[in-house]
Amino acid sequence: MLTNTFTTEPAIPNPSWTILDTQDQWQRFSQPFGDDPAHPLVQSSLLLDDLRCAACSGIVERGLTVLPGIISARVSMSKKRAVVVWSPDLILPSNILSAIQKLGYSASPASHNENQLNSTAKSRAAFWRWLVAGFCMMQVMMYASPSYFTKAGDISTDISHLLNWAAWLLSLPVMMFSSHSFFSNAWHDLKFRQISMDLPVALGIGITFIVSSAATFDPSGWWGHVVYFDSLTMFVFFLLSARLIEVKLHSKTLGAMEALVSRIPENTERQNLDGSYTRVLNSQLNIGDIVRVNIGEAFPADGKLILGQTKVDESLLTGESTAIHKNLHDSVVAGSYNLGQTVNIMLETIGESTQYGQIVNLINQAAIEKPRLSQLADRVARPFLFFIILSAITAAALLWNVDHGRALMTAAAVLIVTCPCALSLATPAAMLASASAFVKRGILIRRLQAIESIANIDTVIFDKTGTLTDNHIELKSIDVQHGLTEADALALAATIAQYSMHPVSRALANAASQRESSKGITFELTDIQEQVGAGMSALIKGHALYSGKLRLGSAKFCESSLSKMSTADERYQQVYLANDNGWLATFHLQEAVKSNAAGAINQLKQAKLEVELLSGDQLHTVENTANSIGIKQFQAACSPNDKLLRLQLLKQQGRKVLMVGDGLNDGPILASAHVSIAMGKGVPLTLAHADYILLNGDISQIPQLIRHAQKTMRIIKQNIGWAIVYNTVCIPLAFFGLLSAWQAGLGMAVSSLIVVTNALRLTQFSTVQFTDLSPEAK
Amino acid sequence: MDILFILIPLSVVMALVVLGGLWWAVYRGQFEDIEEEGRRIFEEDQD
Repeated sequence: MLTNTFTTEPAIPNPSWTILDTQDQWQRFSQPFGDDPAHPLVQSSLLLDDLRCAACSGIVERGLTVLPGIISARVSMSKKRAVVVWSPDLILPSNILSAIQKLGYSASPASHNENQLNSTAKSRAAFWRWLVAGFCMMQVMMYASPSYFTKAGDISTDISHLLNWAAWLLSLPVMMFSSHSFFSNAWHDLKFRQISMDLPVALGIGITFIVSSAATFDPSGWWGHVVYFDSLTMFVFFLLSARLIEVKLHSKTLGAMEALVSRIPENTERQNLDGSYTRVLNSQLNIGDIVRVNIGEAFPADGKLILGQTKVDESLLTGESTAIHKNLHDSVVAGSYNLGQTVNIMLETIGESTQYGQIVNLINQAAIEKPRLSQLADRVARPFLFFIILSAITAAALLWNVDHGRALMTAAAVLIVTCPCALSLATPAAMLASASAFVKRGILIRRLQAIESIANIDTVIFDKTGTLTDNHIELKSIDVQHGLTEADALALAATIAQYSMHPVSRALANAASQRESSKGITFELTDIQEQVGAGMSALIKGHALYSGKLRLGSAKFCESSLSKMSTADERYQQVYLANDNGWLATFHLQEAVKSNAAGAINQLKQAKLEVELLSGDQLHTVENTANSIGIKQFQAACSPNDKLLRLQLLKQQGRKVLMVGDGLNDGPILASAHVSIAMGKGVPLTLAHADYILLNGDISQIPQLIRHAQKTMRIIKQNIGWAIVYNTVCIPLAFFGLLSAWQAGLGMAVSSLIVVTNALRLTQFSTVQFTDLSPEAK
Repeated sequence: MDILFILIPLSVVMALVVLGGLWWAVYRGQFEDIEEEGRRIFEEDQD
């Protein structure tokens, strides 16, 4: 977020705001207000990012309303938005924005997108259905109450008929309007030969209404004379209440994910050849296009700043919460917010190939995929629903000869009381809540099933480079063969290193570009190969001196005899460069152990998890790292195959292994572990084949992640347990006529709410230190 | 008790009128930001 830096500066209107003064610009965040054609008014919404307290909203409101031309200003602290009604004849948007700036706050236009308007309309409709049901329920209860307190014959039949008719009349809106969704869903299911929760509910509502209507208009008929409008309206109200709360809770749990997935606006201003701008759909953008991005908008694609400088918020992409300053020619990433001023960018990567696009894909995939427990619940739900309908028919048949009306109402109670939704909601509700907690902390999850897997692990294996150590590796010194300069050696190494994503390769390539040692020397490489965990090789063409096969990597990989080499410095890690003639150069690299690694390892050990370190580096570097962070069990100079063997050995011993790696050079090992975590920093996400990806590479989150997953599994078990207990108790009660229809409705509503609220406890990532998370302690 | 023959139908009519009022309130957005308006009471005093 932006910090408040404006108070000390004189309020010069930000020049980029004046572009908002044209009508087609301000229409994007405004709508007409009032209907006086002589004095047109406009209502605009503005984003206020740095509102800190409730008093701030008052300051902004008062500061704005004193301006001529501003009719009203309302600031909402919770939404961080101001709604301003103003007259285009008297004031311009840039004046409003600079007035807010003068007050010490930063504002930006909040473009209303259609999704938002849609969801408002939807939530209003749902609220209105619920309100109609609630109000009619109260009124119907009034008409029903005389029959609760009087004996038969106390009320004259005329009056009681009149009461029934009144109740019938007010049940109509509940039937026709409020319960509409139950009926339409049930109809949809029947049409597609499916069966879902809404079918028994709709049947129950329908039966109750028919029985009661018959009793109202034909009290002497064989349906009996008892009406159940009070029950009907009540359980519709309870069910709608439960659904309303469920939707609220659901949008709360998924809020972080939704915010991430739908943050890019649907259209963007693209610059035409003559320098003017046209709004085009994002799908029409191409690489090389120049687009203008306004304050508060998200960048539609990856690109380079070509006009202006700004601050951006990349928090949801990297977990980095402070605004980052971007100068001219800096790269900006899709999905980050432009906070500073309107800028132009030239697009370099668009659509799904941007990191943002990959994150969105991952999240969507994870949300679609059904975890094992959820599939199990779905399989159980179908036969369960058939069983319910069957028991309802049986219950009605048993009582049919006693009283037709009562028989049907018992069936209705059986239909309504069942709650398979508690069963089928139990797992996905909890797992999605968990996943959204992860997303908030910069942890992406590829498949929901991984939550169950990581909760049961007993061994953690770490890779070293890029995982326990910082991604940033520094080149300390270079030893070269006689006749070769350091710069040439580095240039040579960098030409081949630039084709690899390995942290060491990137460190060499970076060092070369910093020292500008590649100036004037160009090599043409062919047949570039990377042997994972060992090094790279390539053939050099068109260079007299170094032609032949060039190798960069570990001593073993370079096949160079150690005698010729410089002495290996204990403090550093060595990478060798060799060609057909033998050793060329040695690069001494230093990598720093992540500052929070020791703490994280310690927490894992306290939780009685076995911690191991497997690395391809030489013994002494690995030993140093292991000792400094407190890992006792380690293995150095591992080829990827060695790592796989070790993993298989552990698996044979019945261990459940969590593998933590950088996600790039250890793909097969990550894939064969029970569950895996990759560091997502600076790595293309599609290449990171792991169950979890830590976007900010912070390994201190791993103990918390494991703990949270275990809590999730606990809550899922509670939910499933509750659903089973509830149904086994309540269905027999309803079957034997001990539950009336309204009690059944209340029971079902409360039951599914319990499940959802229980799951909601998972949306907060608990940061409490923990002592024991071994599987036995659960 | 004959008055009930008027009062019961009247109560139905009144209920429908109240429903109309609620409809107006819902679609004017009266229930959308409940906390903010409550807090506003405490702020106006600074004038």
